[in-house]
Amino acid sequence: MTHRHDGSSIDLERELVRYMVQQRLTRRELLERIGKVGAAVALAPVIAACTVGGASSAPSVPASSGASPGTASNAPEPSAAAQTPVPEPEAELFVYNWTGYIAEDTIPSFEAKYGVKVTYDFFANTDEAYAKLGDDGGGYDLSFPISVDIPALIAKGALLPLDMSLLPNIANLGAEWADPAYDPGNANSVPYMWWTTGVGYDSARITDPLTSSKALWDPRFDGHISMLDDWAEAFGMALIQLGFSANTANTAELDEALALLQLQKPLVRVYSTDTVGTMSSGDVWIGQIWGADTFAIQEENENVAFYLPEEGAIRGSDTMAIFSGAKHPIAAHLFIDHMLDAQVSAANTNYVYYMGPNAAAREFIDPAILDDPNTNPDQAIIAKLEELLDLGQAVRDEYLTRWQTLRGG
Amino acid sequence: MTGRNRWLGGFAVLIYGFLFAPIAVLIVFSFNDSKRNFVWKGFTLDWYPTVFGNEDLIGALFVTLRVAAVAVAVATVLGTLLGLALARRRFRGRAATETLLLVPMVTPEIVMGLSLLIFFFQLFDARGSFAQLALAHATFCISYVAIVVRARAAGMDPRLEEAARDLGASALGAFRYVTLPLILPAIVSGALLAFALSFDDYVVSTFNAGVGSSTLPLYIYGKIKFGVTPEINAISTIIVAVTAVVILAAWRIGDRRERSEPRSGR
Amino acid sequence: MAADVRVTSATPPGIGAAGAPPGTGAAGAPPGTGAPLGERLTSAFLVVPGVAWLIVFFVLPLALIFLVSLGSTDALDRVVFDRLSLDNYVRAFDPAFLPTFLNSLRYATATTVLSLAIGYPIAYWISRYGGRHKALLLILVMLPFWTSYLIRTYAWMIILRDNGVANALLQAVGLTNEPIILLNTDFSVILGMTYGFLPFAILPLFVTIDRLDPALVAAARDLYASGRQAFLHVTIPLTMPGIVAATILTFIPAIGDFVTPDLLGGAETTTIAKVVQEVFLEGRDWPYGAALGFVLMLITLGGTIIALRPLRQEVVGG
Repeated sequence: MTHRHDGSSIDLERELVRYMVQQRLTRRELLERIGKVGAAVALAPVIAACTVGGASSAPSVPASSGASPGTASNAPEPSAAAQTPVPEPEAELFVYNWTGYIAEDTIPSFEAKYGVKVTYDFFANTDEAYAKLGDDGGGYDLSFPISVDIPALIAKGALLPLDMSLLPNIANLGAEWADPAYDPGNANSVPYMWWTTGVGYDSARITDPLTSSKALWDPRFDGHISMLDDWAEAFGMALIQLGFSANTANTAELDEALALLQLQKPLVRVYSTDTVGTMSSGDVWIGQIWGADTFAIQEENENVAFYLPEEGAIRGSDTMAIFSGAKHPIAAHLFIDHMLDAQVSAANTNYVYYMGPNAAAREFIDPAILDDPNTNPDQAIIAKLEELLDLGQAVRDEYLTRWQTLRGG
Repeated sequence: MTGRNRWLGGFAVLIYGFLFAPIAVLIVFSFNDSKRNFVWKGFTLDWYPTVFGNEDLIGALFVTLRVAAVAVAVATVLGTLLGLALARRRFRGRAATETLLLVPMVTPEIVMGLSLLIFFFQLFDARGSFAQLALAHATFCISYVAIVVRARAAGMDPRLEEAARDLGASALGAFRYVTLPLILPAIVSGALLAFALSFDDYVVSTFNAGVGSSTLPLYIYGKIKFGVTPEINAISTIIVAVTAVVILAAWRIGDRRERSEPRSGR
Repeated sequence: MAADVRVTSATPPGIGAAGAPPGTGAAGAPPGTGAPLGERLTSAFLVVPGVAWLIVFFVLPLALIFLVSLGSTDALDRVVFDRLSLDNYVRAFDPAFLPTFLNSLRYATATTVLSLAIGYPIAYWISRYGGRHKALLLILVMLPFWTSYLIRTYAWMIILRDNGVANALLQAVGLTNEPIILLNTDFSVILGMTYGFLPFAILPLFVTIDRLDPALVAAARDLYASGRQAFLHVTIPLTMPGIVAATILTFIPAIGDFVTPDLLGGAETTTIAKVVQEVFLEGRDWPYGAALGFVLMLITLGGTIIALRPLRQEVVGG
């Protein structure tokens, strides 16, 4: 909010009180937290709220003041919400997400904390959700779009720009997530989980040391290879293997990738995103899988190992975003803030086995997950990964027609 | 005669076995001590109590049952009327009506689901709801009931009804006491098929369920990415068990009634 | 001769009888013309509710999607109508789709044939030997379908996978030494689809077989027809409405089934229905998807009508 320019002590105190009330922290708890993570981290949200707003255009909080969202204003514009320390959340919240992509206690703890009743509906894949959410959320306040979709959603005006004053926990994000390419400054979305795509294989059946994605083209594994039923991932892996970018728009390169995939097809047992199923059943010995799924697969088949191909690999992420048609925007903000809480984020990671972008959460994450280089690779590796981008409809069509040619019986 | 009976009977047992083979596997795996339920890891009863505590799951089940109840009721009534008309009456636009019945069945589910999404959104500013779901389900079920009823009613001797009329029955009475009992198996069969269609519908439901009216398939499919837990097997086992008990009871009642009744000619 | 007359007159009108239309009160009155008001009202009462419902909740929405198919998408995948054209339909006739379409056709045909071949004897058995418990036996047929489709299919995956029940049995019996690939093949797809559509064949077959008067078959046997001849020339024609219904209720939905081939199928089992789905959802190209859908519908509908025409005369009396 734009009235905090000067970091004066009055502002600091007000922010501190607001922060404590929002977090339902007693003084004792705040001091404990400072003791645990240090004053800088514990008070970061407070301090952040006190400094000049800067890059984030002044989003106003709808509903309470009735102002329309998303208008960047230069002049300071106190809104009704700025006067009250904690805006009253609406009574309900409508969330759209995969079933089980959230720890079991996350929603109950949110409901208890804010007295908001959460209706949580389920989708089975992001493209279906994209169709259903439409241009304004399709009746839902909050959903979890993948990062690739965010630019288009923003351009369509489908997302509500975020009011950072309601998201003090956003400071918990790791520095590398503060300004993603798909949504500068996290102005419209907040990262939720991220993952890599690589190769999983049954080390009991395949004893060679594997380092390349070419292993998925090995005729020795005929009938026991799987690829993801996802055009971007399949083409991405082929393009990277050929030395091209996974986001290329060059049709000659795409043709080469198609040829490579067609070479592979007779060996492929199945194209499926249900990698946990295919790899734990034993039918598939080696497959293109998401790194974070390795943990889950290993619970079924402990021999499964994962590696990122030496040629390079893809990194993806998804986000939490509030839609422009949201009827409960304040509750939605508070929900995001809740998810950004270090412990809640860690609980989610511990349940779902995917890494979150939350630096503050790391101390609460199950060490087994933290130490698992597949779910949580170190920085050096991450730097080499390529992020999938929004290609635009024309380029996407080029990929898709080739994908359909590939899959055609 | 008995020879044919034995072969046919054996075949029937085989096919019923085929129908229930995956159900047997499903029931066994409801006791699997594994979150993802692909590999047998050990025996546990824990999933059953979980079912009862899972509000989302129970809620989804009840939404599904309620939607199915409404959809089946509407589809059965409308479908039966249509089936009767097509089987036994000549009327203008009869060929068109027959074709109309076929079109919902050839329509890809995504086309039907999205068309209803657009329709309700553009015309009623609706984003999905229980009513919308029920309407959508009824719509794709009508054809099935109509076709089954038509098959039964076609070739039903109209002189039976005429005879009843000749004997003084009203049109309604003739229908109620002559036609209806004769086509009842078809009405029931149509209703059973409609129920199965509605119960398992996924694509149309995705686009027509409103906030908070997730059906069981929507809940279950949503779990694919992170593991379809054995809870789903557990709740299905419960449904099957309850229905089986009811069937068994009805069977026993039927047997007892047959024994006590004097044997009437076929 | 006398027997001939007996069989013919006992044949329910409407089967092979091109004569008087059934159901009209005025016997011998020319069909269609001057039908009494009461008859017309009754027909209207029977037909209008269903048709009205379908027009409102099916035809109108479909018309909207048809409009969409004439449009195109902008850079943000939103449907725009600045230039209505049939371009999407031209695109839809892409020969690259032929293999997937043939896949769907293959699976649907195999599923229908198997469902009829299995369904008929079962329906017959229930009708003949079910006695008091016929209804219960039918419900028992449906009972597996009151579980979730997805976990039923998962159960088949558990049975058919390389180290699954089926392979274990085959090896135990000594037919094979190593697991054979059953899952993710044409075999598993057809098996799964047949499984799913079997009740849709059994129930319509049952309702017509059950109506069959066994005296007719007995009469044929009395006339020295062999069991086979009686079956072919009496039973089958008399149950033809059920056979037609069962064919429609399995073949048509089977062409549009993409989930079963998707889950139980492998790399080579892509269906045209899945392509339509992908164009809508992954491709986000609703106009093109709609056009593709309509083309598919037209082909399927046209094919069905043409295929059923010779049977129709027999079934509904013209």
